[in-house]
Amino acid sequence: MSTNADLKPLRSVSRLKQRMQEFSLIFRDHVLALGLLLCVLFLIAFIIYPILKTAINGFFNSEGQFSLEYFKRFVDPYYGPLSRKIFGDTLTMGLLTAFGGTLLGFIFAYTIVRCRVPGKKYIHILALVPTVSPPFAIALSSILLFGRNGLISKGLLRMTFGGNINDIYGMDGLVFVQIITFFSVSYLILRAMLERLDPSMEEAARSMGAGKIHIFRTVTLPLLIPGIAGSFLLLFVESLADLGNPLFISGNTTVLSAQIFLAIAGEYDYQKASALAVVLLIPTLVIFLVQRYYVSRRSYISVTGKPTSGLIEEKEGWIRWPFIIVTYIICILILTLYIAIMYGSFSKAWGIDYSFTFEWWKQMFARGTESILDTTFLSVLATPLAVLLGMVIAFLVVRKNFAGKEIVDFTSNLGGAVPGTILGIGFVLAFSTSPTILVFILFFVMILFALGVSLQSNKERILAGTAGMIIAIILNYIEKMSVTLLIVYIIGVISLLCGIAEIISKNRKAGRRFIILGLYLSTYGLVEYVVHPLSRMISRIPSGVFKNAMTQIPDYIRLFFQLPHPILGCIILILAVLSFLKKKTKTGKIILSIMIGCSTSLIFAGKPLALVGTPYIILAAYAVRSLPASVRSGIASLQQIDPSIEEASAIMGADAQYTFRKVTLPLIMPAIIAGMIFSFTRHMTSLSAILFLVSPKWRIVTASILSEWEQGGISMAAAYSTLIILFVLIAISILYFVTNRMIKRRGGIDITWGA
Amino acid sequence: MYLNLENVFKVFPPRGGASEVTAVNDVTLNIKKGELVTLLGPSGCGKTTTLRLIGGFEVPTSGKIILDNEDITSLPTHNRGMSMVFQSYAIFPHLNVFENISYGLNVMKVSKDDIKKRVDKVISLVGLTGFETRAPNQLSGGQQQRVALARALVLEPKVLLLDEPLSNLDAKLREQMRTEIRRIQQTLGITSIYVTHDQIEAMTLSDQVVVMNKGVIEQIGPPQEIYKYPNSRFVANFIGRANFVKAEVVESNSTRASVKCLGTGFDINIKEKLETGSTITLILRPELLSIAAGKGNLKGTVKKSLYLGNAVEYDIEAGNQLLTFSETHPDRMKIFESGEVIELELHNEILHYLNE
Repeated sequence: MSTNADLKPLRSVSRLKQRMQEFSLIFRDHVLALGLLLCVLFLIAFIIYPILKTAINGFFNSEGQFSLEYFKRFVDPYYGPLSRKIFGDTLTMGLLTAFGGTLLGFIFAYTIVRCRVPGKKYIHILALVPTVSPPFAIALSSILLFGRNGLISKGLLRMTFGGNINDIYGMDGLVFVQIITFFSVSYLILRAMLERLDPSMEEAARSMGAGKIHIFRTVTLPLLIPGIAGSFLLLFVESLADLGNPLFISGNTTVLSAQIFLAIAGEYDYQKASALAVVLLIPTLVIFLVQRYYVSRRSYISVTGKPTSGLIEEKEGWIRWPFIIVTYIICILILTLYIAIMYGSFSKAWGIDYSFTFEWWKQMFARGTESILDTTFLSVLATPLAVLLGMVIAFLVVRKNFAGKEIVDFTSNLGGAVPGTILGIGFVLAFSTSPTILVFILFFVMILFALGVSLQSNKERILAGTAGMIIAIILNYIEKMSVTLLIVYIIGVISLLCGIAEIISKNRKAGRRFIILGLYLSTYGLVEYVVHPLSRMISRIPSGVFKNAMTQIPDYIRLFFQLPHPILGCIILILAVLSFLKKKTKTGKIILSIMIGCSTSLIFAGKPLALVGTPYIILAAYAVRSLPASVRSGIASLQQIDPSIEEASAIMGADAQYTFRKVTLPLIMPAIIAGMIFSFTRHMTSLSAILFLVSPKWRIVTASILSEWEQGGISMAAAYSTLIILFVLIAISILYFVTNRMIKRRGGIDITWGA
Repeated sequence: MYLNLENVFKVFPPRGGASEVTAVNDVTLNIKKGELVTLLGPSGCGKTTTLRLIGGFEVPTSGKIILDNEDITSLPTHNRGMSMVFQSYAIFPHLNVFENISYGLNVMKVSKDDIKKRVDKVISLVGLTGFETRAPNQLSGGQQQRVALARALVLEPKVLLLDEPLSNLDAKLREQMRTEIRRIQQTLGITSIYVTHDQIEAMTLSDQVVVMNKGVIEQIGPPQEIYKYPNSRFVANFIGRANFVKAEVVESNSTRASVKCLGTGFDINIKEKLETGSTITLILRPELLSIAAGKGNLKGTVKKSLYLGNAVEYDIEAGNQLLTFSETHPDRMKIFESGEVIELELHNEILHYLNE
C-alpha cells in the first residue's frame, strides 16, 4: 500500500496563492464581491474607525499635543483616590452583576429544564422581557417601588429615609437593577447547555452509586463550566457597558460609563471622555476576546446539535422547590416592576397621590411627539439596513472561505459589545468634520472594484480611470466655483444622456436604469420645491399634537431624496458597473468612464461624510448596535441549511443571485423576520450610542426620557418607557404571528436567535 | 474523449489547527461520452472532491478539466450544463415535487408548455406520477431520491454527477434504485459520474470503475477487470476479499510459470517472463478455493469453521499461511473439527498475482 510519503511531491502552492484563489472565487461573482466590499467598508467606517478615533483621542489634548493627563490621574495624589475608586467601583459592579446574574440565570434555566413547573412558557417570556425594554426601565421602576417615595418602601413599609439610612440609590441598588436587566443572557446560555447535556452521563454516575450533590459537583457542574464562564464574562461586559441604569440609580457611586457621559454632557471634555473610554474599553475588549476565543471553544457540549430527547427531571423536593420558589418570586418581581412603570405613567404624583390621570400622557404627546416619531421612523428605516448587512455577513461567514473572515465576524459583533458611549464619542469625533481617510478608502475601494471587475486589461483600466479622473476634476472645479447642488444637477443630466445613449445602442435595461438615476438625482434639489410649501402649510396648523406630528414630515421626505453625496456616488458607480457587466459594448465603456468621473466627484463633493447632525449617522449607529443580533440569527439559520441545497441550484444553471432569491432567501425568511424584529427592538431601546448624536432636528425618545427625568418628571419618564415597551411588544407579537404561520409550512424558528 | 481531467491537484489550505490536505493528487481521467464511471474508494480518498471539481464547486489547485474540447477548469458551476444528485438529495424544502423538478428549466427560461411536457415525461420515467403537488416532507426517502434524480435528468445534462445517491436508503430500496438508475442512464445515454464507497454498487452499475485511495487513482478499468486483475493489494482488498500468498518462482517462460508456495507447487498463467528465484504475491480470492476430498491439489489444517447458512467460512492453515475462504456448494458444506487436515482444490489456472 502506498502512503502519502511515497507519492510524488505535491505541486507546492504558496499560502498567498491559496488566499488569492479564495478571493478570486468570491470575485467570480460580482454581486457577492460587492456585498463583501460594502460590508467591510461599513465595518471599517462605523465600527473600527470610530473606536480607534476614540482611543487615539484619549492621548491628545485639545491642541492636538500628545498628553497622558487623564491616565496620570489614576496615580495622581489629588485625583488619584477618586479615579481609582471609580475604577474599583466599576469592576465591583461588573463582578457582582456577573455573579448574581449568572446565579439567577442558572436558577431559571434549571427550573425550566429540570423541574416540572407550571407556566414554563410564561416564565420564559418574563425572563426575556428585560432584554427588550428600554435601558433604564428597571432602574425607573425600582425607584418607583423601592425609592424614597417608593410604593413598597414608603407606601407599604412606611420606611423613611434620612441621614445615613441605606436606600435604593447606590451600589446595591445598581447591582440589583443590573442583575434583573441582564440575567436573561445567562438564562439563555445555560438553558441551551442544560438542554443539550446528555442525561446518560448523569445516569451513569447515578448507577455507580453517586449521590445527588456529588453528581452535581463532579459531573453536571464541570460540564456546565464553559457556559457559566461564558455567561459570567458576557454579563460583566454588558454591566460595564450599561449607561442608563447607573445614570439614575447609582446615587453617590460613580461608574466609568456614567463618568464618561458626564465628561461630555457636563464638562464638554472629549479628551477626558476618550481617555476614560480607553480605560473602559480595555477590560471590555479583553474579556470579550477571552469569551469568544477561549471559553466558547472549551465547551464539551455541542451547541449546534439538537436537544437530547430524554431529559432528567428533578424529583427530589428539597432541590426542586427552592428552585421553583426563587423563580416564581423573581417572575413576580419582574411583573411588578413592569406594572409599576405602567401605573407610574398614570398616577398623579407618585409617592404622594396615586390617583389616576392622563396628564402625563397628554404632556408626553404635547412635548414628545416629534421624538417618538423620529425614533420610530429611524428605527424602522435602520432595520432593513441592519438585517441586510447582517444576512450578507452571515452568508459570507457560513458559506465562504476567505482570509479575514474571522475579523469580519468579530468586528460585526464588536459594534454591539463595546460600551455604546465609546461608539457614540467615536461617531462624534469621526464624523463631525469630513473623515478624509475614510473618504479616500471609500474612493479607492470603489474605483478599484469598478475598474477591476469590469475591464480586462490594465491598459483599458488606466485609460478609463484617467478619463474618469479628468471628468471628476472638471466637475469639482465647477463645484468650487458654485455650489454642490449644481454638480448633482449636472451629473443628473449626464446620467440622463448616458441613458439615452444606452437605449440608442440597444441596451434598453441599462438605459432605463440610467434615466431613472438621472431623474432621481434631479430630485435632490427639486424636492425642496415640494418640501418648502409643505412646511409652510404645516406651520399654519394650530399648535398641538397634530402639528407636532406633522412638522417632521419635510425632513422625512428629504432623507430619501438627499442622501449624502458619497453614498450617491457609490450608487452611481455600482449601477454603472452592473449594467456594463451585463452587456459589454463600446458605448458602455465610454459611459463607464464618465460614470467613474461622476461618482468620484460626488464622493469628494462638499464635506463628504460629515454626518453628525444628519439622520444618517443615527441610522448607522442603530445598525451598528443591532448588527450582532441579525448576524447571529442569520448564522444560526444558515447553518441549518444544507449547503448542497444551494449547490443543487447552482448546478441546475442558476447563478448566485437567482439561487439567493429563489432558494436561500425563502429558507432564511424566519431568521430575517426574527432579525428585523430584534433589530427594531434594539433601535427603539438604544441610548448610549446615540445620546451624543441627537440634534434639535432629530430627537430620540430614550434621550428625551433622560432629559425629562432629569427635570424631575419621573412619571413622564414612565409614560415614555411604557410607550416604548408597548411598541416593542407590538413588534414582537407580529414576530410571533408571522413566524407561527411560517413554521406551519416548514422548519422551526428559535425566538432566542436574536437575543 | 468527452470529459478529461489532466493532472488535477486539489490542496486544501490548513485551517482551524488542521494541517494542509491534498485531497486530490495528480488525477488524470478520460471519460467517454455515454459512459457511467464510478469513483470508488474508502471515505476520505478524494472521490467526492474529484466530483466537486468536475461540478465546479471547487477549483483545482492545478491541472485542467476539459469537457467536449472546452477548458472548463474555472468556469462557474452554473455555466457547466451539468446536473447532480446529492447524497442528502438537497431537495428544495419550500417547493413541491413539480416545482423542484422544473426548477432548472425555469432557470433556463423554457416555455411553460415545454416545462410541463418535459417534467411529465421525467416524472413517469422515475415513477412519481401523481405526486406532483406533494411537499418534500410528505415523501418517503425513496421518493425523495426519485425527485432528486428526476430533477437532474430533466435538464438533459452534458454530465450527470451522482454523489453516493443511495447511501441514505435501506438495503432493499438501494438494490431497486441501483438497477433503475442504470436502466435510465442507459436509456438516455447520459455521461455519468457516480461516487460510491460500495463496491457492489460500483460492480453492478459501471462501464468503468476508478478506484481511488488517498487522493490518488489506484486503478481504472471495467468492473470485471478490476476484480480479476487488481494491480495492488489495496484494490484487491477493497473490492472483494483476498488472501495474499508469497510465492517463489521456480521456472518461467513468457506465458506460464511454476511457483512454490503453501508447501506445494503450482503452474500459473502469466503476462510476461518472471525471473527465476524471485518472489511474487498471489492473490487468492476466497472463491478460488473449494473443498475437494481425494482430488485436491492442496492440503491444509482447519483452524475454524463458521456456519453462515448459505455458506461455511473456513480458516485453513497451509504451509504456515492462514487462508480464509468460504464454501457455498451444499454438498461440500461441512463443519470440520479444529485441527483436521483436509484436501482443497486451488483453481490455479485463473490465479492473479502482483510483482512484489
